[in-house]
Amino acid sequence: MNGSPVIQCRGVTVAYGRDIVLDRIDLTVPRGTLLPFVGPNGAGKTTLLKACLGLIPHQGGEIICDFGDHPPAYVPQQKQLDPIYPVSVRDLVCMGLNPELGCWGRLDRGQHARVEAVIVRFGLEPHQHKHFGELSGGLRQKTLLARAVVTQAEVLVLDEPTAGLDASSEAGLLKLIRTLHEEEGKTVLWVHHRMDQCAALALQVCRVDKRGVRLADVSEVAT
Amino acid sequence: MNLIQDAVSFTKLFPEAVLCGTVMAAVCSAFGVFVVLKRIVFISIALSEAATFGLALALVFHFSPLAGSALVTGAVVFLLTLPEKRQHLPKDVVLGTVFLLASSASVLLVAQSGFGLEEIKAMLYGDLIVSSPRDRWVLLLTGVPSLAVLLLFLRPVLYAFLDREAACVMGVRCWFWEGLFFFLLGLVVSGASKSGGALLVFCLLVVVPATALLLARRLWAVIGISMALGVLTTWAGLLTAYRADLPVNPTIIGLSCLLLMSVSLVRAMASRFIARR
Repeated sequence: MNGSPVIQCRGVTVAYGRDIVLDRIDLTVPRGTLLPFVGPNGAGKTTLLKACLGLIPHQGGEIICDFGDHPPAYVPQQKQLDPIYPVSVRDLVCMGLNPELGCWGRLDRGQHARVEAVIVRFGLEPHQHKHFGELSGGLRQKTLLARAVVTQAEVLVLDEPTAGLDASSEAGLLKLIRTLHEEEGKTVLWVHHRMDQCAALALQVCRVDKRGVRLADVSEVAT
Repeated sequence: MNLIQDAVSFTKLFPEAVLCGTVMAAVCSAFGVFVVLKRIVFISIALSEAATFGLALALVFHFSPLAGSALVTGAVVFLLTLPEKRQHLPKDVVLGTVFLLASSASVLLVAQSGFGLEEIKAMLYGDLIVSSPRDRWVLLLTGVPSLAVLLLFLRPVLYAFLDREAACVMGVRCWFWEGLFFFLLGLVVSGASKSGGALLVFCLLVVVPATALLLARRLWAVIGISMALGVLTTWAGLLTAYRADLPVNPTIIGLSCLLLMSVSLVRAMASRFIARR
């Protein structure tokens, strides 16, 4: 792992049609950070992260990403996955191995062990053969986080992972995110709304609002 | 005993109907699993009607029916794969308009052509019983390779449909797999529409896979059950129509719908029973 920034944005503009969401923004995200992206609704937090992941095109400027040896792992909100799909928790976790397996590859013994380890670590053992649609919101989000972890990505990008969860599920998930950052040194970029929770987990936040995008100390933003 | 004798004599009398029905049911029911999962049921009816309009064009202007249906279906598939922001109307409205335009244009075109009522009915509603060896080859050459490609690339297609953004970040070329799926779906619908007609193709793409989704919990099992149910209801429909002297396609459609209703009723009752215990 080198010391280069994970993401560098220079004068980046992102627009949906004529609607400019991010206007010539500059941002450098250091490696190994746990960085919540905060700001009002519609300010462009998710748009910024999606542009960095290449999911949304940017109309101007430059985005330089160095995600390390593995592609980054993206964790959407659990409600984005349609529960009608006939996939189990285990199937979804295995999906994280797609970059290694390609179209036809089958899991070898080592990959099976990795999937098993992640399932155990996230407490998903009793649910691993359950249909994804049968799970509670908290377990669904845990499954998606487990899928991200099994990829061995150095960078995790989470889009409002606690949205729609009850208090205990939320606390459990935040604890997992913190553990991933502290024990494995993962860079965690994460869209969030609650400043009290950001203050408990991170030192800095990325503030996204109509004045632009900037890194700020948690204490500064909280006050 | 009578039933078996009837089945044998029907197969001897109408071998092409049995073959075409079997291939069409297996292929459409497999593709339909993704139609139902991706909630693009309306797309499948629009494609079926577009294929029928292509057939009407071919009939009136004397060119290959497959070319006619493939051409019109291909144009609709292209329209559907355009990014939504380039379309100034919601996709549902575009599909609804395609459906209405294709259905009315087919009727108007054929009504002005001087064909008899039976020919018009056979073309618009399809009739498996009059399938020809040529229809069989069209179905085999469009359906079987399409099905093989879908099954071969099931994993990236599933990932692109299930969680598009996460799959793209993982390196799955979602736009390619979605485009390929719609292209193959268009090809399958074009190939099946002449023998099946819009309604039967729509039924096999929607009703049969929906029944399979109620019965199985793993993707491979859902696809397998869907194909099996599609083939069995088609055979049952052919036989029932033969024995009761009924039109074939509506009989197959009716049986498929009855099966879906029965399975969902049993599922609902079972869920209620389990919840009470």
